[in-house]
Amino acid sequence: MTQKISRRDFLKLAGVGAATTAVLTGCGPAAKFVTRQPYLKMPEYTYNGESTYYATTCRECAAACGLVVRTMQGRAIKVEGNKANPVNLGKTCARGQTTLQGLYNPDRVTAPTKQGRAKDLSGSAMNWDDAVATVSDILKKYKASEIAFLMGTAPDHLFDLATDLTGAMGASAPVRYGALSMFEGRATLAQAAQEMFGQPALPFFDLASADVVVSFGANFLETWVSPVAYTRGYSKLRKGHDRRRGLFFQFEARMSQTGSVADEWIALRPGTEGLVALALGKLVAEARGGSMPKAFASVNVNEAAEKAGVELEALHVIAEEFAKANAPLAIVGGPALAHSNGVETTKAVYALNAAFSSSFFLSPLAPGEDVYHRPASAQEMSEFVKKLESGAVKALFIHGVNPAFELPKSLGFEAALKNVETVISFATFPDETALLSDYIFPDHHALESFGYQRAYTGANASVLSGLQPAVTPFVDTKATADVLLAAAAQAGFPFPYADEFAFIQGKLQQFVPIAGGSFAAPEINAFTAFFQQFGGWWKQADLVAPTASNGAVNAPEAEFEEGEFFLIPFVSPTLGEAGANKPWLQETADPTTTVMWNTWVEINPETAHELGVENDDVVKIVSAAGEVEASVYLYPAIRPDVIAIPFGQGHTAYGQFAAGRGVNPADLFGAKFNAAGDLAYAGVKVRVEKTGKKQYLSRLESKIGVYGEGLGEEH
Amino acid sequence: MTTIDLNMVGAKGALVEAAEGKWGMVIDQDLCTGCQACVTACAMENNIAFVGEEDAGYGRSMHWIRIERFWEGHYPHVKMTHYQPMLCQQCGKAPCEPVCPAFATVHSQSEQVNVQVYNRCVGTRYCGNNCPYQVRSFNWFDYNDERINKAIATLKHQFNPDVTVRRRGIMEKCSFCIQRIHKAQDKAKSEGREVADGEFTTACAQACPADAIVFGRVDNPESLVSQLMAEGHGVQHLSELGTLPRVTYLVGGQ
Amino acid sequence: MSDKKHHNPEEHFREQHLMLDPMPRGQMNDMVMESMHTTSWKFWVVAAILAVISFIGLGVDWYRLIMEGQGLAGVMRPDYWGIFLVNTVFWIGISHAGTFISAILRVFKAEFRRPFTRAAELMTTFGLVQAGFSIFMHMGRVWLSYWLMPYPNQRQLWPNFHSPLSWDLLAITTYLLSSTMYLFLPLIPDMAMARDRSTGWRKTFYKVLALGFRGTEGEWAHLRTAMNIFAFAIIPVMFSVHTIVSWDFAMATRPGWSSTIFGPYFVIGALHSGMGAVVMVLAVVRGTMKHMKYFIRPEHFEGIARLMLIISMAWAYFFFNDYIVQWYGGDKWTKTLLHWHEAGPMGWMWFAMLIFNIAIPWSILWNKKWRSTPWLLFIVGLLINVGMWFERYIIVPISVTINRMPFTWRLYQPGIEVPMGIGTVAFFILLYMLASRLVPLIPVWEVQEGQMAHSLTKFGRETVMTVSELE
Repeated sequence: MTQKISRRDFLKLAGVGAATTAVLTGCGPAAKFVTRQPYLKMPEYTYNGESTYYATTCRECAAACGLVVRTMQGRAIKVEGNKANPVNLGKTCARGQTTLQGLYNPDRVTAPTKQGRAKDLSGSAMNWDDAVATVSDILKKYKASEIAFLMGTAPDHLFDLATDLTGAMGASAPVRYGALSMFEGRATLAQAAQEMFGQPALPFFDLASADVVVSFGANFLETWVSPVAYTRGYSKLRKGHDRRRGLFFQFEARMSQTGSVADEWIALRPGTEGLVALALGKLVAEARGGSMPKAFASVNVNEAAEKAGVELEALHVIAEEFAKANAPLAIVGGPALAHSNGVETTKAVYALNAAFSSSFFLSPLAPGEDVYHRPASAQEMSEFVKKLESGAVKALFIHGVNPAFELPKSLGFEAALKNVETVISFATFPDETALLSDYIFPDHHALESFGYQRAYTGANASVLSGLQPAVTPFVDTKATADVLLAAAAQAGFPFPYADEFAFIQGKLQQFVPIAGGSFAAPEINAFTAFFQQFGGWWKQADLVAPTASNGAVNAPEAEFEEGEFFLIPFVSPTLGEAGANKPWLQETADPTTTVMWNTWVEINPETAHELGVENDDVVKIVSAAGEVEASVYLYPAIRPDVIAIPFGQGHTAYGQFAAGRGVNPADLFGAKFNAAGDLAYAGVKVRVEKTGKKQYLSRLESKIGVYGEGLGEEH
Repeated sequence: MTTIDLNMVGAKGALVEAAEGKWGMVIDQDLCTGCQACVTACAMENNIAFVGEEDAGYGRSMHWIRIERFWEGHYPHVKMTHYQPMLCQQCGKAPCEPVCPAFATVHSQSEQVNVQVYNRCVGTRYCGNNCPYQVRSFNWFDYNDERINKAIATLKHQFNPDVTVRRRGIMEKCSFCIQRIHKAQDKAKSEGREVADGEFTTACAQACPADAIVFGRVDNPESLVSQLMAEGHGVQHLSELGTLPRVTYLVGGQ
Repeated sequence: MSDKKHHNPEEHFREQHLMLDPMPRGQMNDMVMESMHTTSWKFWVVAAILAVISFIGLGVDWYRLIMEGQGLAGVMRPDYWGIFLVNTVFWIGISHAGTFISAILRVFKAEFRRPFTRAAELMTTFGLVQAGFSIFMHMGRVWLSYWLMPYPNQRQLWPNFHSPLSWDLLAITTYLLSSTMYLFLPLIPDMAMARDRSTGWRKTFYKVLALGFRGTEGEWAHLRTAMNIFAFAIIPVMFSVHTIVSWDFAMATRPGWSSTIFGPYFVIGALHSGMGAVVMVLAVVRGTMKHMKYFIRPEHFEGIARLMLIISMAWAYFFFNDYIVQWYGGDKWTKTLLHWHEAGPMGWMWFAMLIFNIAIPWSILWNKKWRSTPWLLFIVGLLINVGMWFERYIIVPISVTINRMPFTWRLYQPGIEVPMGIGTVAFFILLYMLASRLVPLIPVWEVQEGQMAHSLTKFGRETVMTVSELE
């Protein structure tokens, strides 16, 4: 049935459905007919000064927050959170808010382009018929085994399409990757869950139900996994239960934005998080009485505190609070996972939760999934790159990811790409990878697209978030799904969908008969209309605390490279992995340092004094794998033996606001992996060299008022 | 239409305190995570210009709301103070109002906020100087002119048609999203009712993922803002100056 | 040495005092006319250079400032006010000297004032012109500045009379108008004198400005009455205008500014810089213009320098009064501000201000011989003006760095204000130079009047100077 209904027919139906069931959001006409017009010349169904709202999904990271886009005369004016979506419940983050500056970005790829791996955007435009023919030729020309798909972190409809397509062709399944998933250590989290609970699932830390939270390096209020959901939870934690404010402690070597709101921030030696977690477990078990869980039995608390460089007293205080708590919770994430001992660290923290916490769960599976499909780990990417390098892959399709920027240089992606005969990028923006491609066939921006995306964590529900266009395409782009479907049809692959929309409906079909979802519909067209109107479909999931195999957990020492300083790279809380091309995100101050528009190096003031460097001095950071130069920020809350650099800048392409700005700390990463295959980027050690140059960082804060500069009070 | 009543301009605090229709805000600093969602939400809602690296670093950023933070102590016992979102406090007795020679910043009787009349502003910047909260931003250049900032040629499609795009030489500041207030009031009026508490909110409060910002009528004891204010651990910044700020900060918790 | 030269005390007196060294009126007239007409090529070279600088500063740069925005200047948050405001206060300060000398000294019958009242009054008018330029440069939308004037309009919009800036505008306008009139009244007899001694376009020029003055008894009587009224009336205007300028700051809710002493402190500061400027002008006029060594003598420098010393002492009193009261107030922001003044990155300016305004005048002006040395006074006057400019710079952009929101504190770095400020200086000098070719710089009638009133009388062996009451 789905094959017979054209999109136009569907939209008519959808329009009727939406008009008769005007609930909440998306009660306007279907988006296809909304055009961007001069304000004086409007489509007949728009009223002067009245907005139309569309429910869709934020694609700035993979968390799948629901959005409601306010449009006016075919222009997208503002995004707000979709109150119905269980992940974000109407809330947004800074990156979500500026998604509009991606939509109307001056540097979008405006037409299908024969890029020819030119240094800059080549500008030799093609038409879409030729573009589809090009893709079709490639599908015909190469053997299935010679074709590869590389896609973004988000598990969306396009990934499903590529999976089906590669399946039908007999090619290898598409690979999903994003810098955020690398920094988040998703493989490590899943691996530890597998080892401990027999299930490779993402954890769900339910902060809302907890009253004392101890976090080991997790930057869950910034970019980690599902920041808006975790911030909502954090808010509930602080508001407390029965007016008792929840407490929050953070162990990490460099005070992150998350750590900055902790009641106590405790600096520890990088790589000792697991050890401290076990020691804490022991103290808590002792305080609570009863039997000592096996996991904590063997740890020596004093030794652990000494190794971690943590004051024993602080450990005791936190253990006491943790023991007293009704619902304690321990979180692990961020750089703590990115050590050689990352899996053990994670298991140690999971053990803490398994022993004491009632707020720790494994995330419910997304609709239509039987197991958590995590994105590729860095090690898997490394193997993928090796495959490219070997020349086994003749045609590479890249969508939704910018590996030339997001993969550490040491993995050699750029060089490997030279051995791929044809590279086709579906990038919306002229990013580094797009420029290295033979063709750029730009996809719509997320706000111009149909689709759906699975949410992997963040709510006690199984969430499929929906996408629909809020505006007609701003430039000459085409949905990648449509390109692939058309090309597959031309190439003669039997594929049962006429276009992207038909494909989406085909995939949604399976949810129509399921009872207990967020809405019920008798058949697929009505279901799709509701799906668009509510911005997705979700089903309450009962969260069950996992049962742990009560085995011993050990905490081996983390391995480090040779070097003077520990390096803590962290994802910029404002820019994320792909925010650098939005001017307003660039001008949004980093929460902890208030720096805008550039990359900085955080150094403890005492260390800086010893090194003889000051604020805004440009230093060279050298690791075994590479070197970068950036200005110094004297950061008061970082261990003296640690330096930190944010990830997010350092683009060589990606538009006027990103290119040539700052540096990419991923250039410093080696190619060492932990047991789960995640990059052990926190094991990098570096040395700092003076360059004698000075480049002033743009700060929102006053150095005079905040640090006493010029008032004779500098530290 | 806003008329100007000299009694309402700054000097007569008591009158202002007794006035009806006061909108206000409560910011719970204990909940604020410093995530900057309010900052970008405000920028998107109110067509705020971005100024580029050099100007931003020189104190010319146009943020209507900024998140302040300070440090206490030294490593390892260093602590960051609570994040403090700072925006126009919509003072009942605003120091910015009496000093403007052109009446470009006045107290609106109907919403009880400080309004900035962009097309009346001649750019003496006295208000910015006299604002104890330093929350006014001046258009040092034509940042939103596409002849000067070429990127605006496409970015302008996002501009909110309910909010004026400001040109060079004038002062601007947080308006408590007055366009949203008016929209809600018009809607309520056409339906013959009062605006309900929580029916709408400002862009910053709507985005705030931690619900740290709450907006509503402070002269209605039933509203959430009033209830939060009544909890008693709220402070109003620099209230010793007698500015009667409409933003209350909750600093409880620690 | 001088004993040998002046064995005759009478001769000594004559050389010392212009008032006792009379010349026939006709000869003095000719001298003044000749001084106006003797123009060397150097004058035009200097004038041309100044014209170019003025054109760049006030033409090209101002055009750019208007077209591109105030961002070309160094202003930002929290330094919304910068050098334009410094220059406004500075030029209004300069303009105070003219009125002070010609009105107050006239009222108090200080006879040494006579030859240089004109020179001082010209400074008042030309200084106010620069002050006006500076305040308009400061405005973000200067093309709408007429909105600050209370003019009748359909929508009944009025300026805000609560605003000190509105008071300021009215005060400065009043002062500009009244000081121009006060410049013009004593000029009428001299215009008539010049009219009778010129030909061609100059004659037409003077004819128009002389308003048909013929020097009849009746005309003189009216003129004297008018001048006396103005001399008394303009004194409160002069004091009020700088008091009101100070209120722009003192009425604000800012640490360091809300100070009750600001009014008199600003007036004294204005006189300090104004007297310094007068002495500089006189030194240049005496050194460069023909016959001026006859009219302007060391005795005049000595007299002004004595005033300068007293004003410097008064300024020091007010400065420390302001400082100590603020410090004693104990407000934490004010304390930080005072600390910022001395120990901040611009501390050198604070110390330079004290040295230039207090230490240097006090250590030089106590000595009568040094007081009578024009070049030395020129340097002292210059340093006082630099010091007073520093004082305004400290009050405006350096003080506004510190407010009650430490997160925003920032140090001001000037931009296009500098060439524009230099432009106002150049334009001031240029106006003065052009005026020196057109306006008799010495009020001949006033000098003659003084010379007629002064005489030497012998009391026993002692020769003393006596002055008779004219009116």
